[in-house]
Amino acid sequence: MYSEQCPIDEQRSITESVFLLSFTSRAIARTGRPGQFLHIRVRTGIDPLLRRPLSIHRIDPQTGQISLLFRVVGRGTRLLKDMRPGDPLDVMGPLGRGFDLSGNFSRALIVAGGMGGAPVFFLIDALLSLGKQVTLLWGVGDGREIFGTDEYVRKGVDVRVATEDGSLGHRGYVTELLDVFLKTHAQDQSFRGFVCGPECMLLPVQRFARKTVFSWQASLEERMACGVGVCQGCGVRIRNQAEYRMVCKDGPVFDLKEILFHD
Amino acid sequence: MTDLTVRIGRLTLKNPVLTASGTFGYGPEYADYVDLNRLGGLITKTITLEPRGGNPMPRIAEMPAGMLNSIGLANVGVERYLAEKLPLLEKYETAVIANLAGSTVEEYARVVMKVQKHPRVDGIEVNVSCPNVRKGGLAFGTDPDVLCELVRSVRSETDKTVIVKLSPNVTDIRPVAMAAASGGADALSLINTVMGMGIDIRTRKPLISRITAGLSGPAIKPIAMAKVYEAAQAVDLPLIGIGGIMNGEDAVEFLMAGASAVQVGTLNFVDPAGCLKVLEGIETFCREQGIAKVSDLVGAMDHG
Ligand SMILES: Cc1cc2nc3c(=O)[nH]c(=O)nc-3n(C[C@H](O)[C@H](O)[C@H](O)COP(=O)(O)OP(=O)(O)OC[C@H]3O[C@@H](n4cnc5c(N)ncnc54)[C@H](O)[C@@H]3O)c2cc1C
Ligand SMILES: Cc1cc2nc3c(=O)[nH]c(=O)nc-3n(C[C@H](O)[C@H](O)[C@H](O)COP(=O)(O)O)c2cc1C
Ligand code: FES
Repeated sequence: MYSEQCPIDEQRSITESVFLLSFTSRAIARTGRPGQFLHIRVRTGIDPLLRRPLSIHRIDPQTGQISLLFRVVGRGTRLLKDMRPGDPLDVMGPLGRGFDLSGNFSRALIVAGGMGGAPVFFLIDALLSLGKQVTLLWGVGDGREIFGTDEYVRKGVDVRVATEDGSLGHRGYVTELLDVFLKTHAQDQSFRGFVCGPECMLLPVQRFARKTVFSWQASLEERMACGVGVCQGCGVRIRNQAEYRMVCKDGPVFDLKEILFHD
Repeated sequence: MTDLTVRIGRLTLKNPVLTASGTFGYGPEYADYVDLNRLGGLITKTITLEPRGGNPMPRIAEMPAGMLNSIGLANVGVERYLAEKLPLLEKYETAVIANLAGSTVEEYARVVMKVQKHPRVDGIEVNVSCPNVRKGGLAFGTDPDVLCELVRSVRSETDKTVIVKLSPNVTDIRPVAMAAASGGADALSLINTVMGMGIDIRTRKPLISRITAGLSGPAIKPIAMAKVYEAAQAVDLPLIGIGGIMNGEDAVEFLMAGASAVQVGTLNFVDPAGCLKVLEGIETFCREQGIAKVSDLVGAMDHG
């Protein structure tokens, strides 16, 4: 774990509200794993005060470049979007436990919703380097938020897109793509499922997942202060566990079938 | 070189910067970022007789220049604290102060009795801002008579330094400070969080599940300063100032208002090495001002 000032290399807009920011940190590039997050201080002053958790979107091990994909939703992300190349970014991380890619599976099914697409690129990179066969189901509201998929299609990833505005792929929700996909694959032991997205998407995906024979990992979001398990602010209930687990330290990736939402 | 040592009750600390309870875990959590040996002291998360899971989520929310929390004293309980947490601190050379709470006077006394024997515990900080079930929901920290009785009973359990941590949620802090002093406290620390709340107007839900919560961070610093100043006028005990300290200059302000030492809380979340930057800032100030002993700054405000 590191806490350092990293110079920003590039800031690119995907849409007017979604941005791709990259900076260089050899240390994070060396140790970061898919599913882990960085805790970013968007301003040195006292307001906004807390750091903002953002997933590692991608790492280039050659150059040590790290990228973040984020949506502007409030004050912190607005300040982040206004940062320019050369500005120092105050980064803590890599934090949390990422996806578990060990063990016996040959095919990966990834379900991403909205900004849940952020950690997915790094996950796919890792899965491909392990020689896994990857299917990505990615749903967004606005089709312009889908980007970068050509590269993965070329690398043999089966990419299926759902957009609510119907501008790309299936018109509707990603869960509808999932429903179709599972009609033929729910009983296939060679799969492992991964899901990233807002809670309103994780809930229906959990219902589907519980009917499959394979295991699923979900990346969760909770408000955070410390990001390292100290403040006890980011708890989640897990089945058969008496105590809260901390999303920042025990997660953000958990066994989807065991998560108790709304508890 | 400035003499940074300060005396808090029966303890001599190597410098006036401690980490505040609940913001630094049980100690080693931040060891990757902070050389714990450089801290004046480390105050561990409040422990209770039995483990506690804490309040339902959400239990934190950001506020302008601060944050709300209603963690609800989630902790591992005194037995696991003794068996698993304290041993991890053995290799560090910094004062360890065990913060504790209970729901009755007897419960406080039992936790003190168990904790104070441990060789790694250098002092006790008594958290008196949790609900007093016996007195129908009133906090121990707001009723001078109850507080005095509580401190007396804690005092009788230990020869180690007893620090009483006061709540700011009172109309006048002076009678409460005096009650803790007459109960036999060696020092007072103040303040704990300030009662606050917020609502998400779109969902109409409170930001925190328990609705009201504790405000911390720079937003509360002026309040904390006033409480430290008032307490310094009322009692002749060393005070530890807490509330919104973000740098060395904030800390010096607390010393000048009458505190002998300070605790760094919310800053730890923002900058995990922040407590050491506070210490360095105090040192820089002393050097620039030609101050020989940091204790010379205590109560050094010029009343004009
Ligand atoms: C582990 C993790 C990984 C994340 N990865 C990404 C990512 O890669 N891309 C992306 O766009 N977003 C991601 N998020 C969500 C992102 O943290 C929030 O969108 C961001 O904190 C909002 O900050 P703000 O100041 O713009 O919004 P505000 O609403 O003004 O923030 C107010 C407070 O609420 C917190 N908050 C608000 N929304 C969320 C949320 N969804 N999750 C957690 N805290 C929140 C903020 O951190 C801040 O403390 C992630 C969240 C977590 C927990
Ligand atoms: C998340 C959080 C948890 C806390 N837990 C405790 C606790 O267990 N016991 C305690 O005495 N104070 C606790 N506090 C209060 C702090 O120790 C401190 O008194 C307060 O936050 C004010 O200081 P600050 O503004 O520097 O944070 C907690 C504060 C925060 C923010
Ligand atoms: S954010 Fe502090 S424990 Fe998770």
